[in-house]
Amino acid sequence: MTTHGGFEPVFCTIVPPHVLDRLAQAEDPALAGPARRTLQRDAFERTQRRLTTVIGASAVAAVADGKPQRTIHDARHGTDLPGHKVRGEGDKPGKDATVNRAYAGLGATFELFLQAYRRDSIDGSGLPLNATVHYDRDYNNAFWNGEQMVFGDGDGEIFLDFTIPIDVIGHELAHGVTQYTANLTYFGQPGALNESLSDVFGALIKQYTLGQTAAEADWLIGAGLLAPRVTGVALRSMKEPGTAYDDDVLGKDPQPATMDDFVRTGRDNGGVHINSGIPNHAFYLAATALGGHAWERAGQVWYDVLTGGELRQDAMFADFATLTVKAARERFGDGEELDAVSKGWEQVGVRTL
Amino acid sequence: MRIQVRRTGGFAGIERYAEVDTSDRPDAAEWHALAEQAVAAGRGTPPVGVPDGFSYQITVDGKTVYCSDPRLTDEQRKLISRVLKEGA
Repeated sequence: MTTHGGFEPVFCTIVPPHVLDRLAQAEDPALAGPARRTLQRDAFERTQRRLTTVIGASAVAAVADGKPQRTIHDARHGTDLPGHKVRGEGDKPGKDATVNRAYAGLGATFELFLQAYRRDSIDGSGLPLNATVHYDRDYNNAFWNGEQMVFGDGDGEIFLDFTIPIDVIGHELAHGVTQYTANLTYFGQPGALNESLSDVFGALIKQYTLGQTAAEADWLIGAGLLAPRVTGVALRSMKEPGTAYDDDVLGKDPQPATMDDFVRTGRDNGGVHINSGIPNHAFYLAATALGGHAWERAGQVWYDVLTGGELRQDAMFADFATLTVKAARERFGDGEELDAVSKGWEQVGVRTL
Repeated sequence: MRIQVRRTGGFAGIERYAEVDTSDRPDAAEWHALAEQAVAAGRGTPPVGVPDGFSYQITVDGKTVYCSDPRLTDEQRKLISRVLKEGA
């Protein structure tokens, strides 16, 4: 007999099996073959990334001319990466809205990092930006594989196309920035900081694109991603963590807003998508206390910490918070920025030294 | 044999759980072989995955192992997909 969801009435029956699950079902070697090749490539990529961590990134022979080098690939509902090239830098928009959204989203992300922080692409040296869309069928996820972004179309029942929210595109690219800078370990508190930094810069990319102030922004991650039948507005709320959705099928948004509700769990790499609500909310508090464009002051402080070289790979919330206070003082002096950042952390219960 | 699979993480950070009891199944032997191979290749503690990739917890008759996308063995992927599909 088969039972389902018996232990966790809040979380059950949601996302259909994703690509690797699907491939696992395939008796057809035409399907299993590409899967194995993908895994082999992934193993190679991981080795390269470890080498990069150890010996440092090699100089990328890219034109650091302040222009993005975008390439969008179409997996055509398969799983081989990167797939077929469908749009290169400077090519005109095609008929596929998903491809056009991915292209525009990569451009917007590149623009924010360049214009606001003088960073040339995710590695700071003009790294070409690659993304694959239409990955597998009914694929309910998007991820950063260490080299590129991958976007599923969603199943249409729970999730729509993952390229719809520009903050999701920014979130994935920001994982690349983190990988090339602080390289926070993707587990526990450093993992939640890694996730939070992707949400922060994902939200800032959306606000920058829309020209919104902190007061005008919705501070939601993944707005527009949930299918109409789902009771919820987004996947996460930086303004009110824990309130993004409350649905019969999806369950309730599990994010805490403060350390009082910190979730200890081994799941989800130690709750990286759960406890990220705490630093997310601290950023929201600091940014809204300052007002204006959030990427200009609060965002600058967070960026300074991410790229400043002092943030350790195994940093805890308190380490990160302490560095933001230091960065706020160094960049803006003993003014309202320092005050807003300090109070933001204080309100979520994270101590700064 | 009782086989439980829990998937966590992913961009949404939303869990999916399902289980299969093979006792009344005609294909029980196939399930047992698959589950034993999947568990043998698992780890005692959750490995660190790629950002926003899925993490899995596989429990077979009370013994729990962990694995993460995209580093799954063929058997782990097959078992995970079968259990989650059966439970869906």
